[in-house]
Amino acid sequence: MKEKGNTAAVTARTPVIGLPRALLYEREAVMWKAFFSSLGMRGIISAPTNREMLRLGAEAAIDEVCLSTKIYLGHVRSLFGKCDLILVPRVSNYGLHRNMCTKFESLYDLVCNVFRNTGQRFLAYNVDVLGGISEEKAFVDLGMALGFGRKDAVRAFRRAGRAAAEDWHKKISREERLYRTDQIKVLVAGHSYLTEDAYIGRPLFQYLEEMGVVPIRADRVDRKEALRQSVRVSPTIKWEMSRELLGSIQMHKSKVDGLILMSAFPCGPDSMVNEMIIRKFPDIPILNIVMDNQDGTAGLETRLESFTDILKLKRGEL
Amino acid sequence: MKEAYLGIDIGSISTKGVIIDKDNQILASEYIWTEGDPMGAAGKLISALEKQFDKETYQIVATGTTGSARKLVGAMVGATIVKNEITAHAVGTTTLYPEVRTILEIGGQDSKIILVEHGIAVDYAMNTLCAAGTGAFLSSQARRLGVEVEDFGRIALTSKHPTQLAARCTVFAESDLVHKIQMGHTKEDIIAGLCRSVVSNYINNVGKGKKILSPVVFQGGVSKNIGVVEAFRKALGCDIIVDENGHLMGALGIAILAGKANARRTFDFSVEDMAFRTREINCGRCPNNCEIICIYRDDMLIDSWGNRCDKGALKAGIRTGVRTMAKN
Ligand code: SF4
Ligand code: SF4
Repeated sequence: MKEKGNTAAVTARTPVIGLPRALLYEREAVMWKAFFSSLGMRGIISAPTNREMLRLGAEAAIDEVCLSTKIYLGHVRSLFGKCDLILVPRVSNYGLHRNMCTKFESLYDLVCNVFRNTGQRFLAYNVDVLGGISEEKAFVDLGMALGFGRKDAVRAFRRAGRAAAEDWHKKISREERLYRTDQIKVLVAGHSYLTEDAYIGRPLFQYLEEMGVVPIRADRVDRKEALRQSVRVSPTIKWEMSRELLGSIQMHKSKVDGLILMSAFPCGPDSMVNEMIIRKFPDIPILNIVMDNQDGTAGLETRLESFTDILKLKRGEL
Repeated sequence: MKEAYLGIDIGSISTKGVIIDKDNQILASEYIWTEGDPMGAAGKLISALEKQFDKETYQIVATGTTGSARKLVGAMVGATIVKNEITAHAVGTTTLYPEVRTILEIGGQDSKIILVEHGIAVDYAMNTLCAAGTGAFLSSQARRLGVEVEDFGRIALTSKHPTQLAARCTVFAESDLVHKIQMGHTKEDIIAGLCRSVVSNYINNVGKGKKILSPVVFQGGVSKNIGVVEAFRKALGCDIIVDENGHLMGALGIAILAGKANARRTFDFSVEDMAFRTREINCGRCPNNCEIICIYRDDMLIDSWGNRCDKGALKAGIRTGVRTMAKN
């Protein structure tokens, strides 16, 4: 708004968006990055989880929330002072029987409330297909809220969608190859924010690899097919991500030597779904691991070692 | 000289050891309390085993450790194999009972189930979170009833109408128990009911829909309780085998595994006279700040663990304090 004759200059800096490397990050990162960069915005990503971040997150949270939410809060906090806006999506559902856990629905409000006196600003988009907000509308609204025109926002969304689909395709085919090795294979079924977490899930994968076992991620799967297959095991489960994992187990159970269920403590959906999985798949060795924020991996190593020993004994390799 | 193998199982409560020959025959065995000092217990165990062992005829060529302090004691005795207790138990039990299909185990703190096919463990599950079905739970309830837990089994067997108790979790079981006492149920009925609830808790929480096939071997501290054995027999409708050497299965299993593995190192009984020490240091090279456990023999670092990455790895052989002095 330059008035005639005014000689001053103002640089309008485009805001830097902070992306917490937790919860939906692993699932949506490609989409988010492509969307923001095609709008010409810059972003910054929090560092991989470490013990200090987890401590900060646990400090900010009430005791009762799940480990994944605590980790998320730690990531949010680590971005303070490094960006203008922190993206905290609010996702309710992708359709009927395609709900997200309530944590995802409440996340934005939870974060705003926990950090209400910090002066940090947050940015949300809302997905609620049953309530009439599709993913496309969510992103287009987000773009417009950031001051871009509808056309630009739509274009950015489409471009981001293509990038995400392409990336996902690559990831699945990489995972598909793993099913064909002759080594002992273990399907690891857990939410991607747990399995990919540098502090929680990655050490488990590393450990399995050191033991000569190939871990395969159940969540990296053709999602449409997984949703279809999941109905054969349970028609009523209502959580999208649980369905994907369940369907993936149904699709791959005969291609692996064992199954590891990995969940966070205390997780509502998983405590029900994993209990059901243990009873519905009696023919495959299952290890149920519940992660909490206790230090020390000794107990975990004992359980992983004995589990892989059993898989090796079965093949006569121990 | 004939070959022999040593197996040590160091649990939080008790420490067990066996020496076996090539044919898995037990040459020496010992059982002592750990008393919170695994290295001290291992030292005592070794000197007790030494007294029973015929050094003229046999030589220990491989040593295995298992149990919760397996790494620590493994470093101390120079173990050739270090393995978790579940594998060790499975191997020990299937060697003595090649026909076994199910191994039930209820210890002081946790409970496990191991399923076996053709002498090989094929599946297992354990429960470490819930105390309702464990020895610790039975002991605390025995105290409440003013009965020695050792007498539990005997008393339970005298009951004609075991009391129904909520078995789902300790909190419910406990309040239900108090209620039933006030309602006037007899002690023996309540005790028999407790034994039953331990069993149904186990079948629900540990067994979780797994097929429990006979022959069934029952191990762990609680297997000494004939009331629980009887409750398992009724619930599963089959015989329950309780071996009087059940507590040695882990040590036996790890001794067998040590014998089978390729690694060989002559065991030296003089370790019982050496001084071992542990120290905890914080790495501090990144925000993970890992706690690293160092174990020293006569001030020489022999092993360390707890570092999440190689940056925190310490070299065996350095002496306490020497490193900082060398810098100056
Ligand atoms: S699904 Fe479980 S782990 Fe994930 S956010 Fe919900 S409660 Fe937490
Ligand atoms: S051992 Fe590695 S991960 Fe742990 S504190 Fe040191 S540098 Fe960090």
